[in-house]
Amino acid sequence: MFSYNKRLQYPLNITKKDLRMAKYLVTQYGGSNGELGAALRYLNQRLTMPDDKGKALLTDIGTEELAHVEMLETMIYQLMKDATLEEIKEAGLDAHYAEHAKALFPTDASGVPFTTSYFATTGDPLADISEDMAAEQKARAVYENLIDLTDDPDVIGPLLWLRQREIVHYARFKELFEYYEKKLRNGNNEFADKAKQTFKYNNDDDIMLQQLHLDNNEFFM
Amino acid sequence: MNNYISYDWYRNAKMNSFPNMNLLAPKESYEKGNLFKDLYSQYKNYRPATLKPRNEQESKLYELSAIAFAAHELNLYLDLHPEDQSMLALFNDYRRKSNELTREYEEKYGPLNISSNSLDGNNFTWATDPWPWEGKNV
Repeated sequence: MFSYNKRLQYPLNITKKDLRMAKYLVTQYGGSNGELGAALRYLNQRLTMPDDKGKALLTDIGTEELAHVEMLETMIYQLMKDATLEEIKEAGLDAHYAEHAKALFPTDASGVPFTTSYFATTGDPLADISEDMAAEQKARAVYENLIDLTDDPDVIGPLLWLRQREIVHYARFKELFEYYEKKLRNGNNEFADKAKQTFKYNNDDDIMLQQLHLDNNEFFM
Repeated sequence: MNNYISYDWYRNAKMNSFPNMNLLAPKESYEKGNLFKDLYSQYKNYRPATLKPRNEQESKLYELSAIAFAAHELNLYLDLHPEDQSMLALFNDYRRKSNELTREYEEKYGPLNISSNSLDGNNFTWATDPWPWEGKNV
C-alpha cells in the first residue's frame, strides 16, 4: 500500500503567476515524458522484474515519481491560481477553462490528454529497463527545454532539481541494465537465485568510508 | 535561518573530513538533487537554487527533508548493492536522524504522516493544517 507524506520532496514557493509557463509545464505532468507516465511505468513493470534488485529499484523510483507528480501539480497550481478570466483567454487557456476551469488536468503542452500508450511493458527486463533509461533521458531533455522557456528563479530552481533526479535515475537504471545484460549474456536466462548472488561490489576495503560511518555513529547514537 | 542544517550537525557528521569520498553532505546534496558527487551534471551555467527558509518552521522542514533525501539516495543505491555494509550503516544513520527530526517537527508544527503521535489530542490537524501545494508551509 501507499501512504502520504504531507510535505513536498523539494520546496516550492512560486509567487509570480505565469499562465504561459503553466501551459508548458503541464507536459511534465501528463505528457509522453512526464512524471505520471514515469510513475505508472515503473510501478507497473516492477512486478515482473526477475530479481530483488529490479523489484526494489522500480518500486522506489516509481514511488519517488509520485512525489514528482505532486511537485508538477503544485507548480501548475501556483502559477495559475491568481489568474483572471481575461488572462486565461489571453494565454490561450480558454479551451482548458471550458472543460476544467482552474482545475488541473494531465495533458501535454498542446492539450493532448494523458494516455497509457505513453509507456510499455514487455515482460523482458532488458527491454523494459532500456525503455526506463530512455524515459529518464527524454524527461531530462524536456526539463532543459522548460528551463530555457522561463526566467523565474522560483521555477528554474525546482526544474533544475527535477532534471538532476532524471540523471540519477538514469544512472541507476543503466547500472541495473548492465547487470541484467551480463547475467543474460552468461546464458543464465532463468535468473535463478538472483537475490542471493550479488554483484561483486564491495566497499569493505574503503577505510575512509568506514571511518565516516564510525564518526557518524558516535553522533547518532 | 539560511543555514537550515546546523553547524553542530556538520561538525558532528564530520563530512568535511573525507574530501575524497564520493558523497556530498546532506544540505548540498538536497540543493543539488543528488548525493553521489560523480552523478551531478550541471545544465549550462545554471547553479542549483540556494534554499532560504523564511522562518523557523521552514528551517526545520528543510533540515528534515535534506536528511530524508540523503537517506532516499542511499536507498536507491542499496537496492542495487544490498551487500554494501558501509552504505547500509550510513543509510541507517540518516534514516534514524530523519525519523528523529520528523518527530520533532510534528510535535511542534503538526503531522507529516497520518501515523504521527502529534495527532493525540482534540484537533484533527492532519485535515485542518495547510496542504503542501498551498505554499503556507512548504
